[in-house]
Amino acid sequence: MLPLTLLKTAQSHPMLVELKNGETYNGHLVSCDSWMNINLRDVICTSKDGDRFWRMPECYVRGSTIKYLRIPDEVIDMVKDDAQAKARMRSEMNKGRVGAGSQNQNVRGQLRPRYKNTPQNGLKSGSRGPINRPLSQAGVNKTRK
Amino acid sequence: MSVTAEAQNGIRIGSLHKSTVSIITADGRNFIGTLKGFDQTINVILDESHERVFSTTSGIEQIVLGLHIIRGDNIAVIGLIDDQIDSRLDLGNIRGEPLGPVVH
Repeated sequence: MLPLTLLKTAQSHPMLVELKNGETYNGHLVSCDSWMNINLRDVICTSKDGDRFWRMPECYVRGSTIKYLRIPDEVIDMVKDDAQAKARMRSEMNKGRVGAGSQNQNVRGQLRPRYKNTPQNGLKSGSRGPINRPLSQAGVNKTRK
Repeated sequence: MSVTAEAQNGIRIGSLHKSTVSIITADGRNFIGTLKGFDQTINVILDESHERVFSTTSGIEQIVLGLHIIRGDNIAVIGLIDDQIDSRLDLGNIRGEPLGPVVH
């Protein structure tokens, strides 16, 4: 099980986050991303020595400043349920595809134009090649002056 | 080919999966718990964890903590604990200096 999967499952649950500077943040997890950046709601911040407290309605914590997160024990069991639900959804989607044999070919046909659309000169669409040209010419003109 | 984090780190941490480990963090704390998962940055899931607090005046104090995600940045050492040997320890009678933090 991946730590960030567990963290994602812990969304909406209460948790304690200790930062590298020793401050702790108690709150409910709103959201997190793959850098462990997190959004908390209804937060109580405690200073390093545990002698000062701040209450705030929400806060955002940069992942790289986190030392550890303490989450409710039951969350780890919910990850398995999440994974099972996902697997079920995936197998149902596959069933839909396999069931429609003739449609399968249509899907492939729809994909083909996408490859045709990519430029043949090896440049990806959105490449900066053509845009760079006028800029470099402008640069040359300036140096000549 | 996609290679999972667990496969990449398999030789080192994969063998510790689901076993009891001791994690010493950069601030000198010692967490004991069951390793339930890790990723490529050595973020770690530690289940049923507790902290052992060393002191020179009284025995080792165990603080029950529960489920933890410890960020890889903060981990100095992960070591396998032999449950048999560990259960034989008389923590109340072991004294020791607490570790200091890692100096960067």
